[in-house]
Amino acid sequence: MFGLQYKRHYSAVVVLLITAITLWSCNGEKKKLPILGERDWVTKKVDGKEVVDTIYNQIPPFSFTNQYGDTITEKVVEGKIYVTDFFFTSCPTICPVMKRQMTKVYKEFKGNPEVMILSHTIDPEHDTPKVLNTFAKDLGVEGNQWQFLTGPKENIYAIGQKSYLSAAQEDRTAEGGFLHSGAFILIDKDKYIRGMYDGTTEEGTQKLMRDMKILLEEYKK
Amino acid sequence: MIKKALLLFTAFAAFSCQSAEELKTEQYFAEGYQLYTTNCANCHQADGKGMASLYPPLAGSKMIQDKIAMSCIIKNGMKDTIIVNGKPFSRPMPANASLKELEIAEIITYVNMKWGKDSVYTPIATVAKALENCGKN
Repeated sequence: MFGLQYKRHYSAVVVLLITAITLWSCNGEKKKLPILGERDWVTKKVDGKEVVDTIYNQIPPFSFTNQYGDTITEKVVEGKIYVTDFFFTSCPTICPVMKRQMTKVYKEFKGNPEVMILSHTIDPEHDTPKVLNTFAKDLGVEGNQWQFLTGPKENIYAIGQKSYLSAAQEDRTAEGGFLHSGAFILIDKDKYIRGMYDGTTEEGTQKLMRDMKILLEEYKK
Repeated sequence: MIKKALLLFTAFAAFSCQSAEELKTEQYFAEGYQLYTTNCANCHQADGKGMASLYPPLAGSKMIQDKIAMSCIIKNGMKDTIIVNGKPFSRPMPANASLKELEIAEIITYVNMKWGKDSVYTPIATVAKALENCGKN
């Protein structure tokens, strides 16, 4: 009778131990974010052997104007991870919600030299650098960590649709006259997309901030 | 026995009379909450506190008690700078042309019961009268 009880306790301890070890070994391997987007491949010859190399969707060079009237190129995010989105200042629908959520990201990573935010306007005719400057100030954003970008409409829409995999276009039937997604897109230091999040929700924003920390860990060594 | 029944009846009558008004207030408040969430909360936020210097707060603002101005602004939007709690806000507010008088009354009810001092609903007539005179003063 006592023996049986003892045996039961014994097996419970073993199960607990195995679970603990399994959990621990899972934690040992750091979580890595995927690379998103269409992929292509090339066959190369390395030392006389054929090697297949995967080419991932990569953000191409760009040139826009920011809220201070300065020209901003891909150089500004060199050695940084960054979050990007599309909006317009007179947007009555999801933009205010997205900006409120992005402000949380801004506050969380404020002053971190490895992190930037690039917000592109999809209404550049109205959203001149001056308009963006006032908008940024009214939002409580100063300095260079959060860039508000404007430029030729074709270029903004092209980089939005082709590179950031995010919808951005004019649509007279949409409220405010433009159609765009509510996505926050996370880009790594090598210009690969590592995550896409719903910037209109608290859950999406929290996940983004968690993933940004995971991504920053990749570069710690 | 009869006394007791009479007392019960009186109590019931009083209760149901009161609850007709109360029910209407509750209805306006509940509908107003839905309409506020869909039409206003994006900018003015669910907690009514607005957003930085972009969108003015409703909570703690005296402006919301001016139901004539509220009716006109909700219906027609506004372009002028508005001073709320001493702070200027100059971003235009879009019009909500599709909102009916009842819906505007429900929104004003919600806002004033939630963040103002109201304990009863704002009647449609208040909104209808205000809308007739928008921009005339």
